[in-house]
Amino acid sequence: MLLPFFWMVTTSFKSSFEVMQMPPQWIPSTWLWSNYAKAWSVAPFAQYFFNSFFMAITTTVGEVITTVMAAYAFAKMKFFGKGALFAVLLATLMIPGQMLLIPNYVTINRLGWFDKYEALIIPWLASVFGIFLLRQFFRSIPDELMDAARIDGCSRFRFLWRIVVPLSKPAIMTVALLKFLGSWNSFQWVLLMTNRESMRTVPVGLMSFRSEVGTAYELLMAAAVLAIIPVLVLFFFTQKQFIQGVARTGIK
Amino acid sequence: MLRKGILLGLIGLLLAGVGAFAQEPVTIEFWHSMSSGHQPHLVALVDKFMAEYPYITVNLTYQGGYGDTEDKVEASVVAGTPPTMVQLYENVITPLVEVLYPIGPHMTAEEQADILDGLVENNTFDGVLVSVPWNKSIMVLYYRPDLVPTPPTTWEEFLAVSAALTVDVDGDGVIDRYGTGLRPYNPELYLNYLVQNGGTILNDDWSAVTIGDQPGLEAMQYAESLVPYSYISSGYLSDVIGQDLLAMFVDTSAGYYYNVKAATDNGLPLTVAVVPAGPVNAKSAIQGTNLVVFDMGQTQAQKDAGVLLAKFLIRPENTVAWSLRGGYLPVVKSAYETQEWLDYLAANPDYVVMSEAMVDGFAQILHPNYGLMRGVIGSAFEEVILGASTAAEAMANLVLDLTDLLDE
Repeated sequence: MLLPFFWMVTTSFKSSFEVMQMPPQWIPSTWLWSNYAKAWSVAPFAQYFFNSFFMAITTTVGEVITTVMAAYAFAKMKFFGKGALFAVLLATLMIPGQMLLIPNYVTINRLGWFDKYEALIIPWLASVFGIFLLRQFFRSIPDELMDAARIDGCSRFRFLWRIVVPLSKPAIMTVALLKFLGSWNSFQWVLLMTNRESMRTVPVGLMSFRSEVGTAYELLMAAAVLAIIPVLVLFFFTQKQFIQGVARTGIK
Repeated sequence: MLRKGILLGLIGLLLAGVGAFAQEPVTIEFWHSMSSGHQPHLVALVDKFMAEYPYITVNLTYQGGYGDTEDKVEASVVAGTPPTMVQLYENVITPLVEVLYPIGPHMTAEEQADILDGLVENNTFDGVLVSVPWNKSIMVLYYRPDLVPTPPTTWEEFLAVSAALTVDVDGDGVIDRYGTGLRPYNPELYLNYLVQNGGTILNDDWSAVTIGDQPGLEAMQYAESLVPYSYISSGYLSDVIGQDLLAMFVDTSAGYYYNVKAATDNGLPLTVAVVPAGPVNAKSAIQGTNLVVFDMGQTQAQKDAGVLLAKFLIRPENTVAWSLRGGYLPVVKSAYETQEWLDYLAANPDYVVMSEAMVDGFAQILHPNYGLMRGVIGSAFEEVILGASTAAEAMANLVLDLTDLLDE
């Protein structure tokens, strides 16, 4: 599992000559730090990184808020048509994203969001998968806790944010991490919904190293290493909750 | 006093006249698929255009690879918001013709006649030149002169040389170097074989699939016969040539820079020749896109500006500049006579070969389903190259698939 990662890192320091040598030259003969400077200058990566961070953080925060509330409603509240509504929600997971690209493009244009941050953020502030994951987790929280809280005068809203959310930290962290990763890696949506370079993100920048006839692998890998650092840092700090979250949502 | 008044009046009339003729500023969007390697050269040309037409601002927008650009164009047409100009393959242009602003009617007869003959037909719809060719390349034979002193000129020679150069140098039972190389999904290579054998995908009026006829089957069988002597790689062959694993291969001239660099970086010589001739001809597939101007959601000034930009980009000096720096080939005849191009040919004989091949190239058919047809042709070729089907099996299935697409 680590071999591709190792190849990516070492290739980012190789010369173009060494990249495709056979047998593979695993360790560069000279460590070319200049690949990073070259890769950085190929496209406006500073702007791309800002946009990626901005998009990933806002969509993550936004999604956590909306999914927590929606999941709570599906897990703990009683209302007419709850089961049917949840089934419809789950059914939307079965529609391939590619089918929705053109309708979404038209919608975004009609809303006047094209080539704006609104297009990159607002449609991603909710997630059916996140709602499903958190609903399953919230259902494992005993109803007696809510009864006790209500006897003590706690409102439903307060109960959600003061009791349910702290108890569900691993699951919420999982949802947040998956969302951050999804937004950070988002390519097609960004390419489709933006025109200006100032609105684009890191994955679009990585395309700059490919063409119809060849790829500058050493530069692509240098940019890929830079792109992966924030994700690695995030995973490093949240891996415990992430693993707990995935494990515990599968336990009845 | 009267004289002063007349003078002022005249000056006023003069200024009003100048104002009437001055061009209003106009901004156009140009969506392209040229990534970092080619983009600086495109930017330079567009800057030159804007210097010549200061009232026009061109927003160049990179839209990813060809497929990404096509997806976005499709979506933008549905939304009614396409850009002024885009680079597109012919098969993508076909279903869009009704929403395009034909460029040909705004060109002189001389300008139209200057476009390479092989590139006119596939940009002409109902007798009107709708789009103009732009970044064009051709399939050529890349070979290592140290291993192949005389490049093969026929299919038979190519097969024989490939077989002779497939060698197990150290005798360990593993082939160390192959005579040639093949990318499994390569519809253009199969189309080369098909056309060189006198075959066609469809009949003249597109009413029947003809690819399964004898020429098409023989073309696929020829590809099949190359497999034992081929290094099969789904990646770019430029990634392989530098590893001393190949003696020769057929690839697009647009990859010339990458292929030669990969070889010479590893101390291996590499040069080009025309593709080996088939039983009927030595025609080679022209690849690359064309420029279109949209007639949807654009002002007249934007359409005019788009036409001006398209005409500017194929001017002899500009198509030469694009070719010299971008690795493509000029698209107008007069470009091949410019001193700059002649000087370049003198210094780079490989480009003489490519230029000659370009003049005798063949282009895509304009059927609206060609994009899908190309896909199934590529898949059939892939099955044969990977040994999943025999040529006969693959062709039988291909005919069925193409018939379905023809009926759609």
